[in-house]
Amino acid sequence: MLKSIKPKKWVVAAYLAVPVALYVFTVFAPLVAALFYSFFEWKGGPVKTFNGLANYTQLIHDEVFWSAFWHNIFLVLVCIVGQIGIAFIVVLLINSKVTKLQGIHRTFGFFPSTISAVCIGFIWQMIYDSKRGLLNYFLEKIGREDLQKVWLNEPGLVMLLVSIPLIWQFIGYYMVILLSAVSSISTEVLESAEIDGATGIQRARYIVLPLIKNTLLVCITLCVAGNMKAFDNIYVMTAGGPGYSSMVMAMYGYKVSFEQSNLGYGSCISVGIFVLALAVIGGSQLLMNYLMTDSYDRNEKKHLKQIEKERKQAIKNRKANA
Amino acid sequence: MKKKLVSILLATAMVVTLAGCGGSDAPAAEAPAAEEPATTEAPAAEEPAAEEPAAEEPAAEAPAADGELAYSGNISIMHFSTSEESEGNGGSDGFRTCLAEWIGNHANITVDEEVLANDDYKTQIATRAAADDLPDVFLLQGMNTINWAKQGLLYDLTDSIKSSPYAANYNMDYLVPFTADGKYYAYPALTGGTCTVVIYDEAMWKEAGFDSFPTTWADVEKAAEYFGGQGIDTIAFGNGGQWQLNSCFVSCLGYQYTGTQWFADIIAGTGTFDTPEFVAALTETQRLFHDTSIFNKDFNAITNEDAREYYISGDAAAFIGGNWDASYIQASLEGDPKYDTTKFAVLPQAADATKYENFQNIGLGYGMAISAKAAQDPDKLAACIDLCQYLTGTAFSEFVGANYALAGFCSSDVDLSKFDQYTQDFYNFSYVDNKGCEIYDSYVDGSVWSVLNTEMQEMVNGDKDPATVVADTEAAYKAYLGQ
Repeated sequence: MLKSIKPKKWVVAAYLAVPVALYVFTVFAPLVAALFYSFFEWKGGPVKTFNGLANYTQLIHDEVFWSAFWHNIFLVLVCIVGQIGIAFIVVLLINSKVTKLQGIHRTFGFFPSTISAVCIGFIWQMIYDSKRGLLNYFLEKIGREDLQKVWLNEPGLVMLLVSIPLIWQFIGYYMVILLSAVSSISTEVLESAEIDGATGIQRARYIVLPLIKNTLLVCITLCVAGNMKAFDNIYVMTAGGPGYSSMVMAMYGYKVSFEQSNLGYGSCISVGIFVLALAVIGGSQLLMNYLMTDSYDRNEKKHLKQIEKERKQAIKNRKANA
Repeated sequence: MKKKLVSILLATAMVVTLAGCGGSDAPAAEAPAAEEPATTEAPAAEEPAAEEPAAEEPAAEAPAADGELAYSGNISIMHFSTSEESEGNGGSDGFRTCLAEWIGNHANITVDEEVLANDDYKTQIATRAAADDLPDVFLLQGMNTINWAKQGLLYDLTDSIKSSPYAANYNMDYLVPFTADGKYYAYPALTGGTCTVVIYDEAMWKEAGFDSFPTTWADVEKAAEYFGGQGIDTIAFGNGGQWQLNSCFVSCLGYQYTGTQWFADIIAGTGTFDTPEFVAALTETQRLFHDTSIFNKDFNAITNEDAREYYISGDAAAFIGGNWDASYIQASLEGDPKYDTTKFAVLPQAADATKYENFQNIGLGYGMAISAKAAQDPDKLAACIDLCQYLTGTAFSEFVGANYALAGFCSSDVDLSKFDQYTQDFYNFSYVDNKGCEIYDSYVDGSVWSVLNTEMQEMVNGDKDPATVVADTEAAYKAYLGQ
């Protein structure tokens, strides 16, 4: 950067001070506070009794919490496939030469992600409604009344059913991110592949996917983080029910904190969510890195490591002989 | 130079904007989603919507004239009688009207009102309690009394209740949920209403061969065969919020099996949920919801608000809910022929339950409480007590009695002849014809009811057996008792 337009360090620091202070106050401070309170028995009110790791011991043995955790993992998996997978296909379709009115597709695709999660919950609740819902109405119209159900009262289906609105809502969001990444791929590369006889699927698999790998990683990280803290639309649609069938971790933390007035344990659940979310995000990134690196690259890296090892050994031997 | 000038202007604009985002010192400004900002003006008293006869002014015998209170300053109050809620809801209308009266009578005192919808209120007040930042005066839910009193959050109102100018008119039974260690911590507020009432269309049941609503579940099952053939639900019920099955069903059915002493022991902390009688009550509940076709199939997926629409639209021949549903149905059906054929009944008797019969659960779930912090200033405390007494005193009772045929903490004479048949019937159902019993979740603790409510939702689906639900509830109860 030219020296004349490069801002001084204190100017940069001053500009950053306000957002950093806000971030610390709204994100970091509550997290530290939650960690602190998680070591107390706190039933609401000024009286708090230090109980060491008792809340964490309870958390480890809490079946409801762990079933909520697996519900979150289910949400993450379904949404990675549903949100990012479908978004990727939509991006390829929109980018296709035969697609007309691309701008309209982009706008309408993005539209659901601008609606609040609570509204999305209400909209889909109406779709699933057993008496007046669109889903059962459709089944009736095609003569399949036998398939009609009280959808949100089906313990085996309810997690999938509450995932669908989430998928629907965020396809457009990931579509926009992926679209910008795909647009940056040179058309010459794709055209030359086409001339070489690559099919559409082959171009997507061997050219587009590797070239947008970093963007995909960002998408997956966002998707995992978003779904590990899912709350609003599920709260509206089922409140975690029937029973605990659609209970997710954030909702369980809310229930424990406010319905059961157990704020100490609620704080412990929040810390648990934070740690598990970090672990899942880290794990998913490692997995993605592994999957996105093809076997040739992996062998190449292994080979280079071996050469480096042999070189170091040779230097060591030479020094020893000398 | 020009760039610098623009930078300075932008920076100034940013600072002003941020400053504008800051709240005032008024507590109401701190509250998210408060329905109304803090106000120093008396909220306008509203006429009750679609109610006959027209609202009357509260009794002129206001207890405290301006000169009687030495305090001059602010009092913060938090409640959930929103303007929407007060339309057709006598308790809320009476509360708002009396509050406006009191504010009007005390020009030296500024009342900072924070009004939230009921669900938001529960979360917000729990958060404020946790932060030891309760408003001076607020509505205390019965089930929080013992815990919050133990935490030192509440001012002990025992003496003030006993020496209240309205003490002679108080219905002392309503104080039970607000009692801890023999001390009273709130003035029971709003109106005493039933939590379990069967609202049914007499004409529809006559067609099914019943002159009135059956008194046994066996007869209801017979009626279900008829209504099922018509494509109509026999009884509409909504348990989507999970609390409804407890408050509006099991709280009554349980008494049929356990009698009154069982829950008295539970309240006292000496009882146990794990009794054959309570298991039998839950087993019968499971049978009725899961094994018969009495209720709408989607009872677990809809709320009571949705279920009562089934009744209003004629998709169900009856509905089970609380007094708030009866008010809503009344307002919705006015002018409809169904209005005249809508009647009320108690929950039918289970075949193998004989401990308690012909009753409904009634009580005042909320009481006006004063935070312990507000009591540090004696003059302010006197003003807060005066406010609580006014909002729960004869002015309130006479207002709701005269305009809605309802009763509050204070007893008052109600001239039923002024009201239509619906209102008269509901008054008699609530206060005259039936014995009462306690509403379970006005007592004990949310940690216990949260477990019971959640697991009962699975139970009525047939996915959990009643004995397991009882065992888990008992474990939560023991944890609450610290055992």
